[in-house]
Amino acid sequence: MDIRLELGGLLLVALGAVACVDPDDKASNVHDLRVLGMAVERPELMAPTCEFTAEALEVFTEQVTFRALLVDPAGEGRSLDYALWACADPEDTICEDASQRLLLAEGTTTAGELALPIRPGATVLPDGSLLLDKVRQADPYQGYGGLRMPLVLNVRAGGEAIFAMKRMVFSCPAVPGMEANQQPVLQGLTVEGAAWDDGALPTLTGKGTFVVRANDVSALEESYVVPGLRKEAVSLKEAWTITWHATLGEFTPEETGSADFNGQPGRHRTEWEPPEKGAVAQEVTFWAVVRDGRGGSSWLIRKARWTP
Amino acid sequence: MSSNVNARAALAAASLLVAAPVLAQAPQADAPPAAAQPTITRPPQLVQPVEAQYPPEALKEGLTASVRLIITIAEDGAVSDVQPTEAVGHGFDEAAIAAVRQFRFSPAEVDGVPAPVQVEYVYHFTLEAPPPAEGTAAAEAEAPKATLTGTLISRGSRSRVPGATVRCGDEADAAEALSDADGRFTLEVPPGECAVRVIASGFQLYQTKETLKANETTEVNFYLAPAGSPFETVVRSARPKKEVVRRTVTREEAQKTPGTFGDPIRVLQALPGVARAPFISGDLLVRGSNPGQTATLMDGVRIPNLFHLLGGPSVVNAEFIDSLDFYPGGYGSQYGRAVGGVVDVTTRKGAADTVHGSVKVDLLDAGFFLEAPVTDGISVAASARRSYIDTLLPAVLPKNEGETLSIVPVYWDYQLRVDFGAKRGTTPEPGTARNTGYIMAFGSDDKLKLVTGGEETDRDISLDTRTRFHRVKGDWTYRKGDFTSVFTPYVGLDYFDISFGQYIEHDVISSLGAREVMTLDVSSLLTLRTGLDVYFEHVKVDVQAPAPGGTEYVPFPGNDPVSELIHEEPVINGFDGALFAEADFKFGAFTVTPGLRGNFQRVNGTRNWLLDPRLWLRYTMSERTAIKGSLGLYSQPADTYQFIFSPYGNPLLDYQRAFQTSLGVEQRLGETWNVDVTGFFNRRFENVVSPGDLRPTSNGSFVQDRFVNMGIGKAYGVELMVKKERASATDKWSGWLSYTLSHAEDGRAGAKPRGDNPLGQDGPPGSDEETYGLSPWDQTHILTLVANYILGNGWEVGGRFRLTTGRPTTPLTHPHDIYDSDTNNYQPTYGPFRSARTSSFHQLDVRVEKGWRFDNWTLALYMDVQNIYNAENVEFIFNDYRYRNDVKIPGIPILPVLGVKGSF
Repeated sequence: MDIRLELGGLLLVALGAVACVDPDDKASNVHDLRVLGMAVERPELMAPTCEFTAEALEVFTEQVTFRALLVDPAGEGRSLDYALWACADPEDTICEDASQRLLLAEGTTTAGELALPIRPGATVLPDGSLLLDKVRQADPYQGYGGLRMPLVLNVRAGGEAIFAMKRMVFSCPAVPGMEANQQPVLQGLTVEGAAWDDGALPTLTGKGTFVVRANDVSALEESYVVPGLRKEAVSLKEAWTITWHATLGEFTPEETGSADFNGQPGRHRTEWEPPEKGAVAQEVTFWAVVRDGRGGSSWLIRKARWTP
Repeated sequence: MSSNVNARAALAAASLLVAAPVLAQAPQADAPPAAAQPTITRPPQLVQPVEAQYPPEALKEGLTASVRLIITIAEDGAVSDVQPTEAVGHGFDEAAIAAVRQFRFSPAEVDGVPAPVQVEYVYHFTLEAPPPAEGTAAAEAEAPKATLTGTLISRGSRSRVPGATVRCGDEADAAEALSDADGRFTLEVPPGECAVRVIASGFQLYQTKETLKANETTEVNFYLAPAGSPFETVVRSARPKKEVVRRTVTREEAQKTPGTFGDPIRVLQALPGVARAPFISGDLLVRGSNPGQTATLMDGVRIPNLFHLLGGPSVVNAEFIDSLDFYPGGYGSQYGRAVGGVVDVTTRKGAADTVHGSVKVDLLDAGFFLEAPVTDGISVAASARRSYIDTLLPAVLPKNEGETLSIVPVYWDYQLRVDFGAKRGTTPEPGTARNTGYIMAFGSDDKLKLVTGGEETDRDISLDTRTRFHRVKGDWTYRKGDFTSVFTPYVGLDYFDISFGQYIEHDVISSLGAREVMTLDVSSLLTLRTGLDVYFEHVKVDVQAPAPGGTEYVPFPGNDPVSELIHEEPVINGFDGALFAEADFKFGAFTVTPGLRGNFQRVNGTRNWLLDPRLWLRYTMSERTAIKGSLGLYSQPADTYQFIFSPYGNPLLDYQRAFQTSLGVEQRLGETWNVDVTGFFNRRFENVVSPGDLRPTSNGSFVQDRFVNMGIGKAYGVELMVKKERASATDKWSGWLSYTLSHAEDGRAGAKPRGDNPLGQDGPPGSDEETYGLSPWDQTHILTLVANYILGNGWEVGGRFRLTTGRPTTPLTHPHDIYDSDTNNYQPTYGPFRSARTSSFHQLDVRVEKGWRFDNWTLALYMDVQNIYNAENVEFIFNDYRYRNDVKIPGIPILPVLGVKGSF
């Protein structure tokens, strides 16, 4: 076990060195075309049975709503071209394999929330096979933990291009107690201890930092059961993460929540810091994107007026 | 003319032999690993002196002189070489060398075997006094006498000085005495003023005046100043070797090589065949092998943890070592359990003359070393060290309201050795049995506690780890005639504890092992070696942890949930044993050594066995030149804990294997320069890598072994070592130049495994499908230059300069952003696997030491400065969050470390 400790020590030193290097481009600072989040409403389609029956197929082929949070702060409202693909291989992050993909939607839009009705479970490949079946074949676990169909959104504007992937979850009650996932929804934010409601424009003055918190969501984090690899079932509880973004300055930390290696969830508390110099008073847009760790996601948008 | 000459031999006693590795030799009985330090069991005796011719010009001018010489005595007692340590001129050097070349000695023995040695010898040229007048002899007999008696002590270290000549005056007929093994002497001289002259090998000429009274005994202590480095005399002896490369690092080199903080293991990184490890890590990356594939032994017993926490100093206290033997490959059959190299640390035997010790304090820790004789034949040495950074950290850690931050790193280690059986000044009669041995205990303890949290933070973290080990080993060496047996039993106890939130693990490893190495010199043409090497380990694991995704369930890519706790208490019993045999066949200048090591491993129900045949060849072209080559198979068992049940381990693991071959030539130039060039080729296969392939189980589930024997790699290259040793204690400088030209590949056979086992994702990073390519540690050019210079007046300065090729990296291409919304991570798009490199590394480290010598102790103040010109070297390349640009992680900036050491 000595090598484990040695490499761990080396990793710590490297991480310490990383902490001393400050890349200019921060994930929490949104300054160009980005996809900040994607969601499918409903986040999980659970068939009533694990047999491949018409009843199961009926659930899997339901229409759902695909949502994407597109931001383009420097785009000045320009048009964004998009194309939404479904494909089979979860490692094909851009749906490159033409024989195993299908175009679900395409068009133009502008920054904001893109919402598209889709029925990916019903898609059939040119060779006549059901895409969902190809997903199972491409899955190294052969669908043991549920089927995850990659949905890839390609967004283009000017010279910028993004491929953004989200897995759509299809499952069945393989073990007792399994229930379909519910979409995580944040219950509001506070800034410097005051409620930060949708449509409000609080004023933030000075260099900060400004403490931003999410209202307690622990009661909404679902307990759930999944099939076990060593035993029949494993009990889990969601530990949501929130990723924080702003059109000015940066957040530290940029992501809160989740359960680490030690099994302890974190607090949804972060600090927003405006730039030290070069910025003028302006309206700043903030985004908080929540993920439940099993495919569910949603977001809140807030604004504030900042003066140096 | 010759009647004018008085040439006296101040032949050093065996304990003062200053012997550099002597010439090229045929392979002989290899010193067993458990008793690696050579012992001169029979010193050479001058049996045929020859008078030197007094230089005519010097005689005319009435000059006298003492010529200090290094004599190389061959195995048969003949003088094979003579070199002056410093010229005195006036023809004295040439005359002394001409005479000494005709000397004849009785053969010296090292570890009971005739061996070439070097001795320091002082040849005195004195002028004969006029013949005494008639009746003077009778008057002298009746004249009153005075007695001068006392002890010769090395100034600073207080070691006793044996074999020194004490004289009253410089006249040819002046009375003189030779100090015994305890440095004692007695001289009877006429009363009055005595101009004392003490001549001792390795010490400056000592002169003083004593007024002696008739019929009285004057007791004195004379403190002799060592001639060279103010604190240490390097004691070396040649050991025969069959290996193509064995590099020995002395304690002085281990402590004084700049940039290593006096850490003995890190000094090895400056040798050929060892790639530079990142930052100040002490990893040994030998001839293309990976970390963990080079075995580090302490007197033949494997050290479980090589370094203190977070890449700190090695657990081997530099004060306790005698030397380090480093085998980058092609090592003997008595060594196993490694597919890379082997490092064997030889510990220090306690002093037999009197109590000595030292105390050392530096930035991180403080420690002491103590050695003393207990009774005749029994000596003890002990050392201990403790860090105190835990007491300093609170002063520098930030304190914020609403936050708790506490970091408590503590480490300590100890070594204790008791030697018995070797009585001072005794040499066993030929044919009689000789038993010596020692008992040694050593261990280490590392603790790290980190607590952070509070309402003003985003996460509470509580980490508490502790790693301990203890070893007790014995050593019994039996020698009789041409037979030598070394038996080394040992027991060990290791603890590993970690508490990190809900993750709690307590491991206990109890181990028991033994080595037996027997050597028999059948004839001058044949030497046999055989023995066994067995090791048993009882591993008890107790772990409670949140069920990890990928091993307990199929995880959804993204943030981890709070999992139910699992609790496992597996117990694993592992045995690994080996029988080995070697034979040296000598055919004139050729020596052929075939060897075989048979390995057997049993871990719970798994049995593995294999044979490792090895072969060494040596052609001794001359006393100074030898060509050597080797080839063979080497194996390393997987660690016992890796046999834990799937998916946390793999109970079906097999031996890791390697084929190693090398060919080299060594050339000795003069008395102080050695050059060797070695080419090597290694191929590793069936190495343990992680993870294994994902496979279905009979119950419809899936399992992914954490480890699998699918690792492969190869390396080839050329190593050059040019080493300058100190010719004598007065030689000012030493050092070496090390250069390696190499190519190393590493990876795994077969396709990249799929699956989501987070415990096994330590395969080659930065690739989509490639699993094999340049080793992440590959460095085409590795140049190291080390030099130490004694300025005088207690000042010593040293430097280490390194220039290496940057390590391989996989370049980014980034045609577009690829964002995984479920994990909130971007995905990289890479170019060809490990087709780029970081920029070259260059760094200069400097060490300056100032010493003060007092009669009974010495004090040294030193500063070791890493990266003195603050080069901004790139250690790693990370990327920005979108994988658009490289973020270069710099290495250690300029880092001075101040230390103080007191010795007595």
